[in-house]
Amino acid sequence: MIELESIHRIFQVGEQQVHALNNINLTIKKGEYVSIMGPSGSGKSTLLNVISLLDQPSSGKYTLNNQVVTELNDDQLAQIRRKNIGFIFQFFHLIARYSAAENIEIPMILAGIPVKERKLRVEEALVDVGLQSRAYHRPDQLSGGQIQRVAIARAIIMRPQILLADEPTGNLDRRSGEEIIELIESLNQKKMTLVMITHDEILGCRAQRRIRLVDGKITQL
Amino acid sequence: MQYFDIINLAYKTVISHKLRSILTALGMVIGIASVIVLTSIGRGVHAFVLTEFTQFGTNLIAVFPGKTTTLGLSGATISTVRPLSIADAISLGELENIIAALPLVQGNARIETGKKQRRTTVLGVGAAVPEIWKIKVARGRFLPKNEQANPRAFAVLGDKLAAQLFAKTSPLGQRIRIGNDRYRVLGVMEKKGQMMGFDMDDTVYIPTAKALEMFNRESVMEIDLLYNKNTQVKAIEKQISNLLQRRHGREDFSIITQDQMLKSMDSILNILTLAVAALGGISLLVGSVGILTIMTVAVSERISEIGLLRAVGAEKAMIFKLFLSEALVLSVIGGVIGIFLGIFIVQSIKFMVPGLPVQLAWGYICTAFIISLLIGVIAGVIPAIKAARLRPLEALRSE
Amino acid sequence: MMVRDTLSFSWTAIKTQPLRVILIVLAMSIGITSVTILTALGESARLYIVNEFQALGTNLIIVLPGRTETTGGQPPLFGATPRDLTLADANALYRSHHIAAIAPISVGAAPVSIRGLEREVTILGSTSALRRVRHLSLSKGHFLPEMDIDRTLSICVIGQTIKDELFARQQAVGQWLRINDRRFRVIGVLASEGQSIGVDFDDMVIVPVASAQALFNTQSLFRILVETKSKEGMYKAVDDIRELIKLRHEGEDDVTLITQDSVVNTFDEILVALTLTVASIASISLAVAGILVMNVMWVSVTQRTAEIGLLKALGATQRQILWLFLTEAAMVSIAGALSGLLLGKVILLILQVSYPEFPLYLPMWAVFSALAVALLTALIFGVLPARQAAKMNAVTALNKR
Ligand SMILES: Nc1ncnc2c1ncn2[C@@H]1O[C@H](COP(=O)(O)OP(=O)(O)O)[C@@H](O)[C@H]1O
Ligand SMILES: [Mg+2]
Repeated sequence: MIELESIHRIFQVGEQQVHALNNINLTIKKGEYVSIMGPSGSGKSTLLNVISLLDQPSSGKYTLNNQVVTELNDDQLAQIRRKNIGFIFQFFHLIARYSAAENIEIPMILAGIPVKERKLRVEEALVDVGLQSRAYHRPDQLSGGQIQRVAIARAIIMRPQILLADEPTGNLDRRSGEEIIELIESLNQKKMTLVMITHDEILGCRAQRRIRLVDGKITQL
Repeated sequence: MQYFDIINLAYKTVISHKLRSILTALGMVIGIASVIVLTSIGRGVHAFVLTEFTQFGTNLIAVFPGKTTTLGLSGATISTVRPLSIADAISLGELENIIAALPLVQGNARIETGKKQRRTTVLGVGAAVPEIWKIKVARGRFLPKNEQANPRAFAVLGDKLAAQLFAKTSPLGQRIRIGNDRYRVLGVMEKKGQMMGFDMDDTVYIPTAKALEMFNRESVMEIDLLYNKNTQVKAIEKQISNLLQRRHGREDFSIITQDQMLKSMDSILNILTLAVAALGGISLLVGSVGILTIMTVAVSERISEIGLLRAVGAEKAMIFKLFLSEALVLSVIGGVIGIFLGIFIVQSIKFMVPGLPVQLAWGYICTAFIISLLIGVIAGVIPAIKAARLRPLEALRSE
Repeated sequence: MMVRDTLSFSWTAIKTQPLRVILIVLAMSIGITSVTILTALGESARLYIVNEFQALGTNLIIVLPGRTETTGGQPPLFGATPRDLTLADANALYRSHHIAAIAPISVGAAPVSIRGLEREVTILGSTSALRRVRHLSLSKGHFLPEMDIDRTLSICVIGQTIKDELFARQQAVGQWLRINDRRFRVIGVLASEGQSIGVDFDDMVIVPVASAQALFNTQSLFRILVETKSKEGMYKAVDDIRELIKLRHEGEDDVTLITQDSVVNTFDEILVALTLTVASIASISLAVAGILVMNVMWVSVTQRTAEIGLLKALGATQRQILWLFLTEAAMVSIAGALSGLLLGKVILLILQVSYPEFPLYLPMWAVFSALAVALLTALIFGVLPARQAAKMNAVTALNKR
C-alpha cells in the first residue's frame, strides 16, 4: 500500500545542501509492522514525514493505496492524511487547554463528523486505551504514559489504515514505555499497518520487518 | 545596572520583535498624528476666523438701534420707532477718543449703466469707510467728507461690480442709476473678497442719507465707530452710552464692541480646537491600550526569562525598570514618528490645499509628546509590576 | 468542519488569554463607543433641526424683497430695497391657485408698556393666516381675526414671555397695553413654543399688519410667508409668484424666493456631512484597534505554532486553519463592538437624562454598521496573521517548541 520509488529529500541550509533522504525505495504492505532504526540525524523522521504526507520529497514517486500522491496539493494531502493516517509523536502534542476527550475529538471535528457520533467514538477510544476514568482531565493533570495513550486514541479515532509513530516512548520511563508499545502492537494485530521509529534495539527487534537508515540511505531491509 | 544598560536592553528587546513593535508603535503613530493634524486644522480655522473678523480693522465698536440683550438681531434693525440717525453718528464722531464714525444702511437695488444692469447690495455709508473698514480705494477717491447731512449723489463701486458694469472701460466719472436716482461714480475699491459669506466686491457705496431716502427709512441700521487704541474700551463704551442716552432720553440702543466679540469668538474657537483634539485623542487612547496589551503579552511570554534574570541576581526593581523602559521605548518611538508624520501631513495639506487654513499647534504637539511618554509609563507600569512580583522559582519552572 | 466547532474551538483559544482579550475588547469598544455616540449626536442634531424647520410650517415659501446676483452669496435677508414688497403685492399672490394661505410680515421694535412697566419688544405685524402658516397655537383667547388685509385694528396677541413679564399672574386677555404711543387690546396669548430656531414667538407682540405699518410709518413688508396647497404645487407656486410680482413691479424680477424644502435640504446635507466627518475621524480609532487585533493575532499565531502543526498533521486544511484564526479575531471584535454599543447606549442615556429637551436617538443603521465595521476590521486585520498560520509548514511547526 505504501510504495516509495527513488525518493530524495534535500534540505537547503544556507549555502549547504543536506541530503536527508538519498534514493529510498521501499514498499510496505497492508498490515505490516515495520520499525525504522538508525543513528540520530540519519533521516528517520524525515522519512516518516514523507510517508505521512506532512513533507513532500524533493524527487521520486510515492504511491499510497495505488494513488500517486507526490503531485497533490496541500489541502488534498490534508484530506488523505485525515482519513488514512494516524500519528503518534515523541512529544505527545496534546492541546493543553483541552481535556483528554476533547483532544481525541479533534480529528473528527476537522472531518466534520456529527457531534453524537463523535461522543460515542471518543468513549469507545477511551475504553480502548484504558482511560475511561480520565476523560475530563487536561494534559497537565495526566502522567506521561497517560498522555501518550490519549495521543494514541486520537491517532486511531478516524480508524486509519496506517499508524505512524516517531519514537513514541522516547519521553517515557521504561514501564510506561512498554505499556505503550503493547498498546500500539495490539492495534497492529487488528490489521493496522504500523511504522515506528525507535532508538531502542530491543523494541525495534519486536517488529516483523526492520529498516536501518544511515545517512539517508537504507542499509538493511 | 546603569540606566543606559536598561534602556539598551529594552531597546534590543523591542527591536528583536520587529513586526510586533512596529504594529504597536503604529497605533501610537496614528493617534499622535491625528491629534496633530486635527489640532492644526482647528488652530488654522481659529486664526482664519479671527482674521476674517479683524479684516475690517480693529478697535471697532458698533451701535445698533433697539435694546437687545442677546447678540441676535432684533426687530429694531428692520424698523423701529426710536431711530438711530445720521446726526447721532455725527455727534458720536465728535466724542473724544473716537476717531471716526460710520452710519450704515444696507439694502438691495438694481444698478444700471447705459447698457448693463445688475441687482446687488447697496451700502449707505460715510466718508470714513476706508479708515474704519481698512479697505483701500483702487482708483479715484471715496465719498467726500463733511457732507453727511446733505450729500451729493456720488457712488463708489466694489471691484467686481465695476468689472461687471464697465468691463474694460474706466467707470470714473460715469453716471449710473441706482434704484430710481442717478449717481456719478467717484471711485472703485480694491478687491477685498468674501467676508463671512458676504461678497464685499459686489457692492456699491453711496452716502447714508441718500440710502435712507432711497429705502424710505428713518433709522440707520448700525453705526460703526473707530476708537483710539490707547484708550479703555469700557470707558469709551460708557461715553457712547451717555451721549446717546442724553440725545434720546433713554437707552434704546445696543453697543457691541469688537473686543467682546473677539473674546467670545476666541473662547469658542479654543473649545472647538480642544474638541477636535479630544476626537483625535480617542485614537491615542486606543493606541495606548495597544501598548498595554503588548506589554502584558511580553511579560507572560518571558516568564522564564524573568525567572532566569532573578536567579542570576536581578532585583525586583531592576525587572520593573526593564519592562517599564520597554513600554517607554515603544511609546516614545511611536510618539516621535507620530509627531513627524503629523507635521508632514500638515505641511502636505498646506502645500496641496492652500485654501484650507492649517497652522501647526505647537502647544498641542508638545502635549502630544508628553502624553506619549505618559502613556508609556501608564501602559508599562502594570505589566512591569506583574513581572517584578513573579517568584523566581515558579517563573523558572513555567517552561 | 462545522461552524459550531470552529466557534467553540476559537472560544476555548480565547478563554486561555482573558486579560489579553479584555484589553482588545476594551480598545475596540472605545472606538465603537465614540463612533456610536458621535453618530447619535449628529443624527439627533440633524433630526432636531429638520424637525424644527418642518415645524415652521408645511410647504412654505418665503418671499423677500430684493435680489442679489452674486452667486453663492447670502440672500438679502435683512436689507432694504427701493421697491418694497407691499400689502397689495401680498394680496395679488392669491391669484395663483397653487397657494393656500398668505401671511405678510412686517417687523420692528418698539417699547411696550403697561402701568409703568416698559420694555423694548419686537412687534410683528401679520394676518390671521400667520397662525395657519406657522402652526402657532394659543394658550388663551383668540388669534388675529380674519379681516381686510389693510385694515388697522388696535388689537394684539402676545407671547408667553411678554405675558409673564408684563402681566405676571394676572389675566392678560382683555387688558390694554401701550405700544409706543398707541393703545392695543390683548385678545390672545400664544402657547409657549419652547426652544425654537428662528423667531422667538414667546418674546413678541403680534398686531394686524396694517397697524404695524402705521406704527413704524412704512409701506413695506419685511417678507411674505406663503403656504402652497401641496408639495408638488410648490415649484409651480414659485413660478406664479415670480410672474405676479414681475407684473406688479414693472417687469422687474426683484424678489428672492426661498422654499422651505431647499432650506431643510441644505441643513440636512450640512449636518449629514458633519456627522460623517466626525464619525470618520472617530473611526480612525477603529483602525488603531484593528492594528491591535492584528498584532495580538500575530503573537497568538507564533505562540501556537506547535498547535497549528498538530492540526495540520491531523488533517486540517489551510482553509480550516485560516477560518479558525479569523473566527477568533471576529469573536473578539464583535465582543468589542457589542460592549462598545452597550457603553455608548448607556452614555447616551445619561446624556438624555441630563438634557431632556434635546431628543437623542441612536439610529438602527448605526448599530448595524458598528457591528459590520467591527467584523470587517477583524477580517481585514486578522487575515494576514491567519494566512500566515494557514500557510505554515507542518513539519517545522510541529518541531517548534
Ligand atoms: N527542516 C529541515 N531543514 C534543514 N535540515 C533538516 C530539516 N529537517 C531535518 N534536517 C536535516 O536532515 C537530517 C535528517 O534529520 P531527521 O530526519 O530529523 O533525523 P532523525 O533520524 O534524527 O530523525 C539531519 O541532518 C537534519 O539536520
Ligand atoms: Mg527524529
